[in-house]
Amino acid sequence: MEKLLISNSPHIRSNSTTKRIMIDVCIALLPAFLMGIVYFGPMCILIVGLAVLSAVLAEFCYKLIMKKPMRVILKEFDYTSVVTGLLLGLNLHSTVAWYLPILGSAFAIIVVKMIFGGTGKNFVNPALAGRIFLFISFSAIMANGWATTSIRNIGGVSLTTGATALGSVLKGNFDKIPSNLDLFLGTGIAGCIGETCKAALLLGGIYLLVRRVIDWKPVIYILVTGLWTVVIKGFDFNYFLPSILSGGLFLGAIFMATDYVTCPNTKIGTYIYYVLLGVITAWLRVRTGGEVVSFVIFVMNLCVPLIDRFVVPKPFGYQKPEKKKSEKGGN
Amino acid sequence: MALSKRSTFSHGVHIHDMKYLSKDKAIEVMPAPERVFISLAQHIGKPAQAVVAVGDIVSRGQLIGKADGFVSANVFASVSGVVEKIAPMRNPQGQMQTFIVIKNDNLDTTVTLDDIDKTDGKQIASRVGEAGLVGLGGAGFPTAVKINPPNPVDIVLINGAECEPYLTCDHRIMIENAEEFVKGARFLSIALGGAKIVVGIEENKPDAIEILSKYDDITVVPLKKKYPQGSEKQLIYACTKRKVGCGKLPATTGVCVFNVQTVKQTYDAVELNKPLYERVMTVTGKGINEPKNILVRNGTSYEEIVAFCGGLKDDARKIVSGGPMMGRVLTDLSGYTKKTDSGLLVLAKGEANELEPTACISCGRCAQACPMHLMPMYIDLFTNVGDYELANHYGAMNCFECGTCAYVCPAKRDLVGSVQLCKQKLREMK
Repeated sequence: MEKLLISNSPHIRSNSTTKRIMIDVCIALLPAFLMGIVYFGPMCILIVGLAVLSAVLAEFCYKLIMKKPMRVILKEFDYTSVVTGLLLGLNLHSTVAWYLPILGSAFAIIVVKMIFGGTGKNFVNPALAGRIFLFISFSAIMANGWATTSIRNIGGVSLTTGATALGSVLKGNFDKIPSNLDLFLGTGIAGCIGETCKAALLLGGIYLLVRRVIDWKPVIYILVTGLWTVVIKGFDFNYFLPSILSGGLFLGAIFMATDYVTCPNTKIGTYIYYVLLGVITAWLRVRTGGEVVSFVIFVMNLCVPLIDRFVVPKPFGYQKPEKKKSEKGGN
Repeated sequence: MALSKRSTFSHGVHIHDMKYLSKDKAIEVMPAPERVFISLAQHIGKPAQAVVAVGDIVSRGQLIGKADGFVSANVFASVSGVVEKIAPMRNPQGQMQTFIVIKNDNLDTTVTLDDIDKTDGKQIASRVGEAGLVGLGGAGFPTAVKINPPNPVDIVLINGAECEPYLTCDHRIMIENAEEFVKGARFLSIALGGAKIVVGIEENKPDAIEILSKYDDITVVPLKKKYPQGSEKQLIYACTKRKVGCGKLPATTGVCVFNVQTVKQTYDAVELNKPLYERVMTVTGKGINEPKNILVRNGTSYEEIVAFCGGLKDDARKIVSGGPMMGRVLTDLSGYTKKTDSGLLVLAKGEANELEPTACISCGRCAQACPMHLMPMYIDLFTNVGDYELANHYGAMNCFECGTCAYVCPAKRDLVGSVQLCKQKLREMK
């Protein structure tokens, strides 16, 4: 007989582990990645591959510099950096320079995640921070040269200089934007590798839902964004579907905003978080005429510790103290 | 009679109950061992005081430890024989306790308590104390204290949920000893001034629900199978929709909760004048050869119990006294049973968690599952950095350590350990 285990209760545990969750997220991102390859060509594999590889390498290098033995590093490896790299890669467009994913991943992993304490300690979603870092540092590359999906180009609309479908939607140029079906499938849309095909993202989201990695609440974000755009635009419901189907809202709502570390841990807190995300996204989108999902999630991520500090659920049976007087008399 | 609607509480977690290992095994009487080691501290409160001396000849059912103070309980000899030793020894949790060692003479001479008037609530209540009854679910709170609540009680709630996975002893008693069980419940009801009897049973015990539904004076509430359904506050809520305030006794809501086996022992004490010196426990797990429900004398060594159940398998990895969620781990089989032992669990490889804790990823599953609506991830975080006050802001003191949070945790963190540490530090600070 082997040596007996000694540990605190409970002695049985659920079979869910951090690794499994992260692998599930990777699997959920695969459809979007595949559709990216279909739409934008094999360059996507290089970009996403570089992002993932450099994210993993960055984590290993950081830990080696911190003098952790290789055995421990391998044991600690929980695929979080794979998810970060994958998300960052999918958030770039297919024509970026090769060094962008490397720089972005390195920044995301080292500055945002490892320096703050590694897995579970990042203050914002690392992939998001990496994207914003690239967006600010290389705005010329990031904002220009967007490729349109190669399957079906829409005649007469130039989609090469950041004029995403969203921009047209927000300006109200409904004749220039693709149909809702095109927006949903991502055919003929300019955008990042992973964000164009909403159908694939939705499929990934449903997979995560079935695997119970996320719950249904990100839907609030998507719906509130659409509805608030409608409200701002004077209750013109023509804006509803195009505004939620264009831009990076699906990718942001399903994969970015739901990052465990940077979303609230209470039910009410989560509602507040998603509603605020939706309202601010819609408002800023209309004000700036551009895509702001990543910036809004970034800012809201920073507010999460505050939400969690002040929205603490009352313990079971808490309301009793107030009833004290009546309880003594009656009951 | 049984309610048709299933009741439950909010949050909690579904756990595979693993009761199939032993739920169809009838209660077997384990032969009395050669020697029993009876602890004088088998309950919450002050240890009992020894009233026998080394060399005395005692009978089965003879008082050997007298309750010392209000929150304490009598201890009785479980075999007849000679008192060999009265000495402090370590219990499996490492605490020093006084043990009385009795060598069995195999004569089984038995003494019983005196007859009482079975219709007089006061006499029943004092008999419950006299017979050394404690909460047999695991807490070991003296029943005599519980049965004298500070305010009137209108419901006697019997906890037949047995929400701990693996354990089946309460289930077996409800099936095999239904008549005694019901009579015991009636005695408790008389002692509490004619309170209504309600039994909460999880729906994974349909046979028990069916059998007990035949009695008209008993309301059976079928409960959803969910952990921790048998926790006092959650059970009261599920069965009566009353909420027990934070830090309050359940009696403040007019409900008194008893364990199934406590009820059965009440019958024994009142009707048969038999004090508490033996109990039914479940010996189970995939690491033991023959899972069984056994009637075992107080103070029997775990080693003999394991031997009676066919011995350990080669892949046994963890031995637990009690259930898998709240039971205490044993370092070896050198301990002895006490009144509160509801089970001896041997977990095999693959059953017991062997994963090391990793960093919290703040997934929030613990908060979603917590039956007390606390935030275990922050209790863990702030306890680990030493800010116990802030940990209490997230509810540390309201935790009853059911282990639901740690069960669902994907990072396998020792959340219960953090809560225990935090509670201890907060008590020290006061």
